Amino acid sequence: MNYTIHFSQVVEYIPYLIGGAWISLQVAFLSFCGGMVIGLFGAMTKTFGGPITRRIVDAYVSFFTNTPQLVQIYFLYFALPEVGILMNSYQAVLLGMTLNAGGYLTEIQRAGFISVRQSELEAAETLGMNLIQKVRYVILPHILKVLFPSLSNLYILMTLGTSMAAIFGLEELTGRALNINAETFRSIEVFSLTAVLYVIVTIAASLTLLFVGRVFFRVKGKVF
Amino acid sequence: MWERIAEELPRFFTYYNVIFLLKAMFTTFLLSMIGCLLGSIMGGVLAILKLTKSAMLLPLRAVALVYIEFFRRIPFLVTLLLIFFVFQAIGLEMSVFAVAVVSVWVIATAFIAEIARSGLESVPAAQWEAAEVMNFNLLQTLRTIILPQAWKVILPPAFSFFVMFIKDTALASQIGVVELTYSAKVLNNKGFSAALAFGVVLLLYYMLSYPLTKIGAWMEKKLDIS
Repeated sequence: MNYTIHFSQVVEYIPYLIGGAWISLQVAFLSFCGGMVIGLFGAMTKTFGGPITRRIVDAYVSFFTNTPQLVQIYFLYFALPEVGILMNSYQAVLLGMTLNAGGYLTEIQRAGFISVRQSELEAAETLGMNLIQKVRYVILPHILKVLFPSLSNLYILMTLGTSMAAIFGLEELTGRALNINAETFRSIEVFSLTAVLYVIVTIAASLTLLFVGRVFFRVKGKVF
Repeated sequence: MWERIAEELPRFFTYYNVIFLLKAMFTTFLLSMIGCLLGSIMGGVLAILKLTKSAMLLPLRAVALVYIEFFRRIPFLVTLLLIFFVFQAIGLEMSVFAVAVVSVWVIATAFIAEIARSGLESVPAAQWEAAEVMNFNLLQTLRTIILPQAWKVILPPAFSFFVMFIKDTALASQIGVVELTYSAKVLNNKGFSAALAFGVVLLLYYMLSYPLTKIGAWMEKKLDIS
């Protein structure tokens, strides 16, 4: 082994990498929010919709949860221009991640919808609530509490998933690490530093989620 | 787009292209399979290590804890690149496939250790205590009391992790492993339309993953002890 490890060259790039981590968090947050909206509509359709719309949602969920996110984004980025839809890498990654998250979140939220007791829904019906009101006042407060652990788990996995945006040239944490690697050739140092930054970022995200869960949804959880 | 795909379709599904795609599909499957099998062995060891109580094993327990927490929070792509460059620096002559398998192994170890730990802890504490009273040592307790009950809790999530990783191994195309995603890129570079190449590969991934998901769901139902 004739490779000596020098961190000194890489250390000066740390602020640049942290800037990338910020973009990673942004992408994860935006696509998670988008996915939540898709998932909410998907779960509503799957629980209350007719047979045909339910089939459509089923097909959507099954397709997006059974194929890799990377290939989905490849498809959006390289195949859609053939029909004239041009997206830059940020839009393609965001759209791909949102659609992918929508599939998983539909499944997660549907499980929450089922866990709402039938009598509560009937009570809401008696009070004359329509579907939107039922979801807003009866189902959501209930499922947000029940689903909080699996939602925050998915959020962490999605934060890790943003690393594949680097493949499309987006300059987030991994993308910037690749840039530094190309400039300095200190591969091991750069990528181990990136790994540590990812650990820090996800632990920070976990702690934030724990705090949010404690304060707003009264869920007890743990980081480790 | 449709005319172009219709025109390319007969050229796309030639004998060699089909063989190429099927081989790539098999590589994808194998990558995740070998990695997860090795990972479940190591993960099991780590999970058992975390259960030990003697002071002598404290450093090992700490290593297990740090390993599990660390590698569950690193993206697969970064692990892949890190291991790729580490092997290069050490000077080991390894195929990219082997590098990818090792990366899957490293990640799967951490995740399966966590799954196994929660499975082992699902056995009521009274049984652990009873075994201790009967003077069973740790291995005897595990073999005769805990594992016969815990494997039902461990297997379904471990299997679904394996199925999940089939999709994540798409990233191995970045270091040049000829698996499904890579084969799509190759076919696209040969001049086939991206919609066709990536569309077919999406379908192949679906065909690989969907039956396994169904098997996982069936297994979960079958082994449901509650």
